[in-house]
Amino acid sequence: MAEQPAKKQAKEPEYIRLKFNAPRPYHWSTGKYLGHVYAEAKENKKLIGNRCPKCKDIWLPPTPVCPKCKVDMGWDWVELPQTGSVYQYTYLVYPLWDPHYGEKWANPYPSAIILLDNGVFYRHWLEEKDKEKLKDGMRVQAVWKEDYDERGIGQQDILFFRTIKE
Amino acid sequence: MANRVAIVGIGQTYHVNKRDDVNQQEMVGEAVRAALKDAQLSIKDIEALFFGNMETFEGIFLPDHGMAAEVGAIGKPGFKVNTGGTTGGSVVVEGFNMVASGLYDVVLVIGFEKQDCGDTTAAITAAAVPVWAKGAATGAIGEFAKQALAYMKTSGAKEEHAAMVRVKADKGACRNPYAHLKLGLKGIDEVLKSPYLVWPLRLMDFCPQSCGACVLVLASEKMAKKIHKKPVWIADYEVVHQEPFRAGIFGDPTGTETYTQHVACGKIYKRNNITNVRKQVDMAEIYEPSNWEEMNLYEHLHFCEGGEGWKLIEKGITEIEGEFPVNCSGGVIATNPIGATPVIRVAEAALQVRGDAGEHQATRDIKTAIATALGGPNWTVMFLLKRNT
Repeated sequence: MAEQPAKKQAKEPEYIRLKFNAPRPYHWSTGKYLGHVYAEAKENKKLIGNRCPKCKDIWLPPTPVCPKCKVDMGWDWVELPQTGSVYQYTYLVYPLWDPHYGEKWANPYPSAIILLDNGVFYRHWLEEKDKEKLKDGMRVQAVWKEDYDERGIGQQDILFFRTIKE
Repeated sequence: MANRVAIVGIGQTYHVNKRDDVNQQEMVGEAVRAALKDAQLSIKDIEALFFGNMETFEGIFLPDHGMAAEVGAIGKPGFKVNTGGTTGGSVVVEGFNMVASGLYDVVLVIGFEKQDCGDTTAAITAAAVPVWAKGAATGAIGEFAKQALAYMKTSGAKEEHAAMVRVKADKGACRNPYAHLKLGLKGIDEVLKSPYLVWPLRLMDFCPQSCGACVLVLASEKMAKKIHKKPVWIADYEVVHQEPFRAGIFGDPTGTETYTQHVACGKIYKRNNITNVRKQVDMAEIYEPSNWEEMNLYEHLHFCEGGEGWKLIEKGITEIEGEFPVNCSGGVIATNPIGATPVIRVAEAALQVRGDAGEHQATRDIKTAIATALGGPNWTVMFLLKRNT
């Protein structure tokens, strides 16, 4: 039998209230291989990939095991050219929610797959926002964040790829 | 050799953007009851239950938590699988394996998603750790936009062809009592006027977020003929993985690399001596989140030669009355309750094989059908269904 609650309490109980409003960020690890890419970007503004000892394909993001040959990649790094041609591009018309930041992501820069000059594909943003001027095959070059302290976040150490005339 | 496995019960909910009238377990319960009714079984006849759901799309990670009672799982074995877009395919595979191995004779496979609980695009954006490709993530839509561009470039397909696929899907959906988007499209002009989401994908070019569930009863050969007059046999299946976070996402953006569909269908066709798909298979229910992807899949699943996918829709071959109907149900572009979506592909293909699809039954007699699932990380799950094996 449950006890009957008291009809009327003489005094309101006092609750202790603590407001918890501290940020609780996630901590994702880059790992050994991608960490090396991050370090080269931050320290030397270099774009690197790792090379399979067997098929010699270059992988970016780097991989510990070659997806094709299924062999240990070892530690063979290749510096990639920072110029290339736009292989394909698209742009957001409708902004999307980004739960990692809790906000709508409406990046104005077109997203592109860039064929770097050594034949490796790389995804990044294009500086050119004018849709009339966007073209497949346009020549582009990476533009880095110049402030050392702002670098260290991997791909976004590069601001975007800028159209170049050759 | 594995034991033969048949689909002996099919049940689904109607699909819609919001289901405020039910919670997750009540919604799933509707499909469980429908499947049991179709099989004329009671929950007491079911030995094990397998769930498929893209958890976190509901904003929680154990959506099956409060579901055991409603679906009749109390005291029974089973578990949930989650393999991204292919979840519903993986759960059918799981049920198949359990029966084929001889462990159980009658099992339920349950796929569901109640997307009105959360934000799916946000969940997809958070599918992988953001140490790579952060900001390049545009949910699923951006990936399929790139796919559409690649397809346009390699095949010469025009926006008009994508619009024809959309109109075909809508014709099927309008005849399908369970479909979500029933737009009543009169022609391709309406599609071509639809606004862009991520260029060149338009609002109408992409699948909706649906709430719904789909349940199959799978049975061993010993039980199948006793349970249902028209068992549909799962003659074969294949699962193929792909690394999704490389530059091209859907493989090499040049389109020259082997896609998972090529691998999956290659194995299935070889094992079943299929050399001419459109002659030896009667229809397909494929996982096409966008109309562009459907034309791409025609090629990748070897329904036609490379670069000719758009010709199939132009000639009306894949229409419901056509020589090789594809997605008579309206497909994913009309109805997409993620975890249930590939279960629906198998269910709809099975209904076609049974001849029970009603108003969206294909004109030609369907004895053999293909059903596929698509999505990371195990990119393609593919089934071959037969009336007789």
